[in-house]
Amino acid sequence: MSELPDQTTPRNSAIAPQLDPAEQTQTLRFLYSPRTALAGELDRPNPHAKKTTFQPEVVAALQSRFGESVLLVTLYAGEHTVYLTRDVIVDACTFLRDEHGFDYLGDLATVDRFTEDDRFEILYNLVSVVGKKRLRLKVRVDEDDAVLPTIIGVFPAANWHEREAWDMMGIRFEGHPDLRRVFMPEDFAYFPARKDFPTLGIPGSLPLPPRVSDGPVQLDPYPAAHGEKPQD
Amino acid sequence: MTTSVDAVVNWARSNSLMPMPMGLSCCAIEMMAFAGPKADAARFGSEAMRFSPRQADLMIVAGWCSFKMAHAIRRVWDQMADPKWCIAMGACASTGGMHRIYGVVQGVDNFLPVDIYVAGCPPRPEALLHALMDIQEKIRNQYSVSMDDREASRDFPTHLTVPAPVQATEASRRINDAVAAEAIATAD
Amino acid sequence: MSTDVLDNPTATPVPVKAPAPSPPGPGAHDAEVFSFWPRHNAAIYSALEGKHTHIEASDDPLEARMILNLGPQHPATHGVLRVVCRLDGETIEANLLDIGYLHRGVEKLAEGKTYHEFLPYTDRTDYLQPYANNVAWCLAVEKVAGIEVPERALWLRTMLCELARLQAHLLWIGTMVMDAGALSVFLWTFKYREELYTIMDEVAGARFTVSHSRVGGLASDVTPAAMGMIRRFCDDFVVQLADWKKLLNRNRIWIDRNVGIGVVTKEQALVQGFTGPNLRGSGIPHDIRIFEPYLKYDAVDFDVPMRTEGDSLARYFVRVEEMEESVKIIRQCLEKVPEGPIRNDNAKAALPSKDEVYYSMEGMIHDFLQTDVGVAPPAGAESYHAIEGAKGEIGIYIVADGTGSPWRIKMNSPSFKNLQGLEFLMDGAMVADTVVLIGSIDPVMGDADK
Repeated sequence: MSELPDQTTPRNSAIAPQLDPAEQTQTLRFLYSPRTALAGELDRPNPHAKKTTFQPEVVAALQSRFGESVLLVTLYAGEHTVYLTRDVIVDACTFLRDEHGFDYLGDLATVDRFTEDDRFEILYNLVSVVGKKRLRLKVRVDEDDAVLPTIIGVFPAANWHEREAWDMMGIRFEGHPDLRRVFMPEDFAYFPARKDFPTLGIPGSLPLPPRVSDGPVQLDPYPAAHGEKPQD
Repeated sequence: MTTSVDAVVNWARSNSLMPMPMGLSCCAIEMMAFAGPKADAARFGSEAMRFSPRQADLMIVAGWCSFKMAHAIRRVWDQMADPKWCIAMGACASTGGMHRIYGVVQGVDNFLPVDIYVAGCPPRPEALLHALMDIQEKIRNQYSVSMDDREASRDFPTHLTVPAPVQATEASRRINDAVAAEAIATAD
Repeated sequence: MSTDVLDNPTATPVPVKAPAPSPPGPGAHDAEVFSFWPRHNAAIYSALEGKHTHIEASDDPLEARMILNLGPQHPATHGVLRVVCRLDGETIEANLLDIGYLHRGVEKLAEGKTYHEFLPYTDRTDYLQPYANNVAWCLAVEKVAGIEVPERALWLRTMLCELARLQAHLLWIGTMVMDAGALSVFLWTFKYREELYTIMDEVAGARFTVSHSRVGGLASDVTPAAMGMIRRFCDDFVVQLADWKKLLNRNRIWIDRNVGIGVVTKEQALVQGFTGPNLRGSGIPHDIRIFEPYLKYDAVDFDVPMRTEGDSLARYFVRVEEMEESVKIIRQCLEKVPEGPIRNDNAKAALPSKDEVYYSMEGMIHDFLQTDVGVAPPAGAESYHAIEGAKGEIGIYIVADGTGSPWRIKMNSPSFKNLQGLEFLMDGAMVADTVVLIGSIDPVMGDADK
């Protein structure tokens, strides 16, 4: 959490903080240093911001109910995001479902932030269909302790989403009735969405079928490139 | 290779190819268009798209093949009866295409003997028709019924130890007769 | 010396080459006993609490349970979907869906590509409506980078997204009715899909995987000829759709196969995470075009069809009526689309026009940088944008890191959520209805497996 801005009040502007105009020339430099502000693309609030994601009342209710556990609230492009601690996430989801009408789970995603502390970020996208509201909740967990309580009791639709989080990022959900991999076969031993997993995979982690009908499986992922031609 | 038997059999086989559509992803939609009304595969004899491998002789792998699916595809291919041909339709089936990633096999020719590769992402149905015509030409010009017995024409599997094939010779016939005579003599 | 075994009984058999030892690796198995992902199948069957695919021997054959494996290669599973059902006679006691046979890791691919380079990958996620996916991606990038889109582009995108919805629903109706047995409908709907392909060819240069939308607008303008083609298509199509409705809407066989099958109540639909027409067929009025209006959906006049029965027939009616509403929207867009530029002027936000690129140095430099680095939303920017695709809510969540490629994207795919609901739905269904159920939920595996 050390690199997040130290503020607990929502930022007021719908656009990112503006830099010194003299620094805006960095957009034309050939050094690929990351940009930290928009360089004049927008003179007005984000044209794609939606009314449903701007929920100051719900955010205030969460802050008053959970107090210290609400670590940060951010606002970008008209979207409120609430950072919570791991132990209140189930209560927060229950609170939002029962008292604010957030009855639909939009999405459950994971992000690998690749930092020393609190590497993984799990986010929950909750929707209130009748109330026309959408809110994002986030929890950060450390790599050595990547366990979260499941929200299946609150939103049964989280079942496959949590399995996907387990499969792709290796985040375990305690209380999940059936935490198996959803995309990769169980024989696969890695978590592909992590930043330390190479894009091309690890040779031998996924065997290929044999080249002849009664042959052995091939552990080399590129046998054709190494001159092996299948027959039969 | 141009015996009249071959000519007749190859003509029959090439004009009645029954594709097994291994439709995986977007190329499958263009394969459906290839079977559809505008680019009609039925006029080439491929009216019967048979999803059962026992009934098909041409497998069209259409779409990217994931490592998880590869074993299923190989199993289906093994169940197809000889003679059989394979079209790798599209960039993903040929080489992995735009998906240079851990989950996608970089070309089904890593585990299937592909006869025709079709370029495109996805290839137009006309391109797939061209591939079908190429297979027909391959059957007519480069295939013979003597190749039907694949066992005789491929490498033996390397992980088994197989004795040399036994041919009936004078010696074996003598032994056989002797064994048979003894069996008859001791039968009662 | 002959090698005949009987001539030389003491000769050893001819050995063949010894196998090369398999390289040890973390995923390595004993290669000779590998049989189709052993741990994976063991996990599935134990999760299903059943035995392997053999009938349990039992004195009373009526007490036997069987595990039936549908797919992953199967004509009716709409792609590579594997359904493992434990059957009690003809009823499915329990089922598990095994997906991932088309998994690529497209979200990981995106981390290595710029925002522009990723656009063709979006064609291939929900490949039945490629234009809608393109627009979903472009809108998500425009939101996180704060890029405006000119009016004409917004109207044209609306129109082309609705044409994509028609494409997807045409394929849905063709395959669903074909799976139920009526093969001709497939050929009729493909005829109209071919006409849509011709329109897309005229508009975007490619039949199927169009990649026409760009960050900040569109790649190229829609010519008056193409507008005329779209107008004529709409006029032809409504006549044909009326004919198909005459065939199917009160067809005894079609109704019997669909009524009461796969009933999803209103509460279950929300709780199980369905999306799109599956929600609206159960009475939940959730459509992103109304919930979070994007493009020009708040400037056109259309209804969102809904049914309350929640069965397969209700979902059929919802989709057919959505096709009619799409035609209505397209006709309104054709009338209301204004003249003007089709891409954002600011060359730091969108690709400059080809005129500028060829005739001015700044245009060329901007074009180079846009292609090389591209749009670069500020570090720490994150946002989510959803559209209503034909299958449901297609959303993309982008985490930006200040460089030209995203740090992480998460695609909220409708088919993933719908398949989760399908797993819930098939418990207790008859095995002969699985095909109709899969068709009525309308999954597309490229989207579900990402």
